[in-house]
Amino acid sequence: MHIAVCIKQILDPEISPRAFKIDPVRKAADPGTASLVIGPFDLNALEVAIQLKERHGGQVTALTLGSDKAKEALRRALAMGADQAVLIDETQVSAKEPSVTARVLAAAIRKLDPVDLVLTGRQSGEWDFGQVGALLAEELGMPFVPFVPRLDVAGNGLRLEREADGGVVVVEAPRPCVASVTNANDNVPRLPKVKDIMMANRKPITVYGPGELGLGAAEVGDEANRLEVLDLFIPEVKSECEFIEGEDGAEKGANLARKLVERKVI
Amino acid sequence: MHETPTREIFWNIRHIWLTYALLVPMVVAFALGVWNHVRRWRAGKPIERTDNWQERLRGFFVDAVGQDQLRSGDQQAGLFHILLSWGFVILFIGTTVVFIQADLRIPIMHGWFYLIFQSLILDVFGLGAIVGLAVALYRRYVAKVPRLTHGLWQDGFLLASMLIILITGFLVEGLRIVATSDPWGSWSPVGLATGRALAALGIREYGTQLAVHRFLWWFHMLVSYVFVGYIPFSKMMHLFTSPASIFTRNLQPKGRLEPLDVENTEVLGVKTLRDFDWKDLLDLDACTECGRCQAVCPAYAVGKPLNPKMLILDMRRQLTEEIGGVPWAKRELEPRPIIGTSIEPETLWSCTTCHACVTACPVEIEHVAKIVDLRRFQVMEEAELPETAQAAVQGIEDRGHPFRGAQASRRDWYADLPYVRELAQVGQAEYLFWVGCAVAFNERAQKIARAMAKIMHTAHLDFAVLGDEETCTGDPARRIGNEYLYEMMARQNIETLNNYGVKKIVTTCPHCFNTIKNEYPDFGGNYKVIHHSQLIRDLLAEGRLPLEPGKLQELEKVTYHDPCYLGRYNDEYDAPRAVVDALGVERVEMARSRQKGFCCGAGGGRYWMDDEPGKRINVERAREVATSGAQAVCTACPFCMLMMEDGLRTVATEQGTTERPVATRDLAELVAEALAEAAGAREGEAGAALGA
Repeated sequence: MHIAVCIKQILDPEISPRAFKIDPVRKAADPGTASLVIGPFDLNALEVAIQLKERHGGQVTALTLGSDKAKEALRRALAMGADQAVLIDETQVSAKEPSVTARVLAAAIRKLDPVDLVLTGRQSGEWDFGQVGALLAEELGMPFVPFVPRLDVAGNGLRLEREADGGVVVVEAPRPCVASVTNANDNVPRLPKVKDIMMANRKPITVYGPGELGLGAAEVGDEANRLEVLDLFIPEVKSECEFIEGEDGAEKGANLARKLVERKVI
Repeated sequence: MHETPTREIFWNIRHIWLTYALLVPMVVAFALGVWNHVRRWRAGKPIERTDNWQERLRGFFVDAVGQDQLRSGDQQAGLFHILLSWGFVILFIGTTVVFIQADLRIPIMHGWFYLIFQSLILDVFGLGAIVGLAVALYRRYVAKVPRLTHGLWQDGFLLASMLIILITGFLVEGLRIVATSDPWGSWSPVGLATGRALAALGIREYGTQLAVHRFLWWFHMLVSYVFVGYIPFSKMMHLFTSPASIFTRNLQPKGRLEPLDVENTEVLGVKTLRDFDWKDLLDLDACTECGRCQAVCPAYAVGKPLNPKMLILDMRRQLTEEIGGVPWAKRELEPRPIIGTSIEPETLWSCTTCHACVTACPVEIEHVAKIVDLRRFQVMEEAELPETAQAAVQGIEDRGHPFRGAQASRRDWYADLPYVRELAQVGQAEYLFWVGCAVAFNERAQKIARAMAKIMHTAHLDFAVLGDEETCTGDPARRIGNEYLYEMMARQNIETLNNYGVKKIVTTCPHCFNTIKNEYPDFGGNYKVIHHSQLIRDLLAEGRLPLEPGKLQELEKVTYHDPCYLGRYNDEYDAPRAVVDALGVERVEMARSRQKGFCCGAGGGRYWMDDEPGKRINVERAREVATSGAQAVCTACPFCMLMMEDGLRTVATEQGTTERPVATRDLAELVAEALAEAAGAREGEAGAALGA
């Protein structure tokens, strides 16, 4: 069983909101002092893949499209339990929209040993498009199951759970297929052991340099992007504080209920 | 009297050779027992603990011979132990004197020496030992001192044996005195009284006296032999292991944990008992089961699963199971992981590393270092730690601080204070103000930094901060057990500090203080580290902080809560108290203060871990604060402050109010509040932070 997991290195989403700034020229987040981490849902995807490997054997390959710094993200994936890591150099890639990212990842996955399953996070941790998984399935000609918290082998195929509004849909899919992973209590990313962190520092990382995937400017260059960000801003959040009047707890409670009904909260 | 005072050795005893014959099995048993202990310790790894022998010998005399630590704090226990131990030591010397006279044929047992030492002093100390035994028995079986909960059967057996030895000794002496009408009998007052009492009870006949004497003499000798032979197989072995533990004690700063070569160590931390060093294993055998650690442990006090005494004794039991309690034990078991075998993970994670157990231990057992060693294995090899602790560690790794979801940034608290400048702007300053994560990121704790900056500015000190260049010292990661991450943080900070050529560091956080002062030198960071209580004390003494009397009027009484990492770890109890005293408020002390200060519950990474309701250390401490009679509790640590604020809120709820019964103030906040107005006016001046 060969599982490919696509991960993305993003600015730490947990920096304090006050420290978060936007670079108006680039129309992107200002890195400031934020560190780089793996997108949270991508970590869930890694965890699901590693658990599957632990149950049924096989290997996990982590892939990312990024700069040299993204090697840190791949090292983390290796420390968690991935067997191989692939960095796709972003130098000649302009991935402003998910379709370009999906095209590049698909080209890289085709170069790997045949895969049985491709996992992505349900959405990246910063832009939140949530499209790469589906577009990747399209590129690879595989079925796609979104919002999967857990999955397992079933016969020759896979049995996947998909979170839906107020319920869970259980589906079966043939191998290979693509799934996007959402978070759940049983796929909380594991803390790598220090021994594994040190081992990961010694493992090789395969790098696909510019042009090595055979994709030209028309496919992954600026002209391949049809989406343009016009504006990016931090919304102003206003909060009001109101004290509920009342003689005693019962009266305050009644008043609170009335206000909530008035504002259609309940 | 014309004769030289002495007595006949072996009076009324025949077949003396039998005593020598019986000596052989006693000595063999004793030697085998001692050798077995050595065998147990040799299972540990090497460590250098015989260097600096002058200092070690000094400690040996103070704490083993003089029993200073043992006597401090519990006078009843100290009295019993001094009487018993010194009684037996003197009696042993007395027996040695007999040996010198009888076997080495050196005639010393006569004259004044015989009367004063061999008769009077021996009698007095023997009686003292009986009194000591009585106190020990009383404490165990009548008063039922709570910390003496372990091994009561064995204790009873040992105490009874010693009592029998002492009483039969006096009976034998008494019978000899009355039977021989010893002219110097009054120099042995206890023996004489015993003899007369026996006579009064009917043993008057010379023949009866001889027969009873002979029987008791042999009985006394046999019990003594068996007892001595049994020492190495019992708790009495502490006679030797405790002084050995005191002699080989840790002489490094108390706040320093031994670094670990993460890259080149086979097992990270301690998995099995064999991963400990020999002193750790000696510690297990040195424990006297006195329970002082149990009595002071904050985790135990609130009902958490940690009892430092049982931590040691459970590991001792595992050592016995694996290596054997007797030298001929053949069933040598494979080393098993300690966690899961004799210690549960919850026990391990209950420790706040407050050091109260280590401080209270009269025989220098190092509980905290062992707990951290065990945590190191759990964290680095097994990745098994509470999720909340994991989040804190992950925060340090990803964001350089352990506060998940922090709303502020490191630079927020001084955004409107022009006199707080960053080293990156000014290049250098006399003092680096190391802010610390708790102070920088918590809105309540930020007030400590603002107060401290105001104080330093008022005193015309040349100071600067690191701003965003500061990161966590690594202390929480280290105490949680992630030595790997700690080392990364330490090296990064030391590089930053050394690049700026920082010489003096001021901090309001005792955890930062301890780590930078005592642990960074191992990684090449050597600075003069000053806790803010020390700096403020000095500034006040130099008259550089004009205080306005009466500004703290609403605070009549203030109590001071000792932070563990300032007090017990770094012996600084007086500086903060001197500052409080200078503020014109009355300082009231809580029952648990100074060396016995009760932890707030935040240390050792506990700040980030969940506490079961009803088992919260800070609430226990807050209740004590609430009954101190003070209007404010003064802290000198941001974690203590936050824990007290939180604990006092619970106390308020318990009392049915929303108002906390006692206010919480950091030392710097109190001082800043008390500063004279004119001094405070400097706050607005720009660029005035040049050295005075």
